[in-house]
Amino acid sequence: MDVIQGMIGELAGNAGFYAGLALEHIQISGIAILIAIAVGGLAGILIAEFQRAARPTLAVVNLLYTIPSISMLGFLIPFSGVGDVTAVIALTVYALLPMVRNTHTGLTGVDPAIVEAARGMGSTRLQVLLKVRLPLAGPVIMAGIRNMATMSIALAGIASFVGAGGLGVAIYRGITTNNGAMTMAGSLVIAMLALAVDALLGVVERRMGMRTARARRQNRVAAGVAAAVCIMAVAGAGAGVLLAPGSAGTIRIASKPMTEQYVITEMLRELIEDRTDLTVELTQGVGGGTSNIMPAMESGEFDLYPEYTSTGWNLVLGEGGVYSEDLFGELADAYEDELAMSWRGMYGFSDQYGLVVRREIAERYGLRTYSDLARVADELTLGAECDFYERPDGYDALCETYGMSFGDTMDMDIGVKYEALAADQVDAMVVFTTDGQLSQADAVLLEDDLGFFPSARCGNVVRDEVLEEHPELGPVLDELEDTIADDEMARMNYEVEAEGADPADVAHEFLVDRGLIEEG
Amino acid sequence: MCEKNAAGAPAIEYRDVTKAYGEKTVLGHFDLSVREGEFLTIVGISGSGKTTVLKMANGLVAPTAGQVLVGGRDVATCDQVALRRSIGYAIQGSVLFPHMTVEENVGYVPNLLNGRDRERTRAAVRKWLGIVGLSEELLGRYPAELSGGQAQRVGIARALAASPGILLMDEPFGAVDEITRAQLQDELRRIWRETGITVMFVTHDISEALRLGTRMLVMSEGRMEQCAAPAELLSSPASPFVERLVERERRMCRLPGDELANCPMSGAAARI
Repeated sequence: MDVIQGMIGELAGNAGFYAGLALEHIQISGIAILIAIAVGGLAGILIAEFQRAARPTLAVVNLLYTIPSISMLGFLIPFSGVGDVTAVIALTVYALLPMVRNTHTGLTGVDPAIVEAARGMGSTRLQVLLKVRLPLAGPVIMAGIRNMATMSIALAGIASFVGAGGLGVAIYRGITTNNGAMTMAGSLVIAMLALAVDALLGVVERRMGMRTARARRQNRVAAGVAAAVCIMAVAGAGAGVLLAPGSAGTIRIASKPMTEQYVITEMLRELIEDRTDLTVELTQGVGGGTSNIMPAMESGEFDLYPEYTSTGWNLVLGEGGVYSEDLFGELADAYEDELAMSWRGMYGFSDQYGLVVRREIAERYGLRTYSDLARVADELTLGAECDFYERPDGYDALCETYGMSFGDTMDMDIGVKYEALAADQVDAMVVFTTDGQLSQADAVLLEDDLGFFPSARCGNVVRDEVLEEHPELGPVLDELEDTIADDEMARMNYEVEAEGADPADVAHEFLVDRGLIEEG
Repeated sequence: MCEKNAAGAPAIEYRDVTKAYGEKTVLGHFDLSVREGEFLTIVGISGSGKTTVLKMANGLVAPTAGQVLVGGRDVATCDQVALRRSIGYAIQGSVLFPHMTVEENVGYVPNLLNGRDRERTRAAVRKWLGIVGLSEELLGRYPAELSGGQAQRVGIARALAASPGILLMDEPFGAVDEITRAQLQDELRRIWRETGITVMFVTHDISEALRLGTRMLVMSEGRMEQCAAPAELLSSPASPFVERLVERERRMCRLPGDELANCPMSGAAARI
């Protein structure tokens, strides 16, 4: 009951936010649906006419359909970047199968005697298709379109994973900030959208079956109006997509799907827009973090994002060895030389890895340090996000340094870690030292007695080109230098995650508190 | 231009036509000449090739060997679409287009021919609807809303709407009761007399074939058994097969009601 109340409150309180997301959602799925109808419909017609092409075509479409949607997105990113385009491509691919199949089935299912009669009476192939086959296949094709549209709207929820808009933004943000109401609200609106579209198409389906003269006239008018609306919507969306990048005074900032990054980027937005004439476009919660954001930075799709020094050293530059802050100079230089990017505005806090164990486990085995943990690791399950297992300074190195070997390991997204810990699904967990939920968790932070984990100070990585083009940007970033301590960041995280505060509000309060922004 | 007959040529001609599907020969060395204005009925058991013969006349089936000529011109050299529009087609009952009204069904071929000229199509539709004896109030109805007899008549009107010179029919009166069937047969005969159209009419009903045709073609296993006027078939069947076929008909009595008792083999003559 609490969750439902929270969800209703969430929707009521942020109606504008959800309405905006819903509009984006409709645009993204709408474009995909329209393309799928056009391309899939045409393909279905072609393979119904040229039967020999039917099997291979259906096989290919079938195959595409079996690729898990997240892999498809990941596969597309190197080609089409992060953002709406990738999402639309992926959605279109998945919408193709029902469309092609149903069109083909509908057309080939028409009574052959009727088709032969049309032929025998002197219709050309095209006339048979347009006057007889397509109209008679109509109901099946329409059912396919309904299916496909509903599925696409639901699937568009994952678009946010690659930095596209839509209601998935609310869902993903809710997951990563432990805000169940937000997740549910986003899901509910998606469901409502899908049902509404299905109902609308149901009306269309029924009207198509109406055969009286008056109905046909009305249908023709309605079809004309609908087509005009669609064209305008697509043109509007297309114009929006074309105009968006390349607007002279826009800074595109990305954030990883982490609470503190939501807060920091909101701070940046408020400060930059207050101090300068620039507009900030935020893409929050890009799935995959650094691995997906960096390619977009390099291609110029993003201008700035908050990063951590050791991640930059190990993951981006690919340096081996443990990072410590005396290497910062080298880090900054390498970024300048190799990537044409700068580290600007180091916030002051460090968000580095730590190891916790459940309090119950700590007490049972008497664990205080990592070395203590190493003794009993083979009986325990470790949970961490995939970055940790992949990086050279991560899991393997940790185990080697301390002589640890865990009984079992689990790959988890940052957002669901603490739930897993609370549910006893993991015994030990890799955490970040500024985790808001850390203060809540029934866990003990162990001491890194051999000093294994590298320092990970947070700062902005920004493209030099942008700094040159907008010289007013740099000083604004510097204003936030050394303004946030570890515990302050953790507190802000806690406010968002545990108390359900809006990251934008928390950011605003902070800026006001520091006297950087006027109240109000 | 295959739609116009070459002077003096038979309406339809089959010269040594063979049709085989792989190993199976459906039609073998078939020769036939159909004169203009003939009403040729075709009978035979299933699989004897009668429908194939029909479908070759408008190019839906192409011969494996031999030639099929319409109006003196080889069908294979003709523009198939134009040819078909000049031939009336009512095969396997009336497969009316279920998503079109009676008006649209009947007007189908005129529409293809007249294009923008809607008035011509409208006139043709109304004319032929009248000829088959249907009221104009049926124009807006859909096939599902018609009775069996009405649907068959619409089928005939549709086949004739473009006033073709040739009419191809295959079991057009299949699914109606005896009384309606007799009416439809009479009407078809009347239309034929009034228009002078050449008709090829396939049926499995011997009495129907004998009644309607000026000539009757009997087929068996892809070959012609006999092709002659009904009277000749009845009096001199050319083979045991034909004999068996017309067996019952031969025993029919065609004397007027008061002289029925004089029929030697009819049940009307039975006396206790």
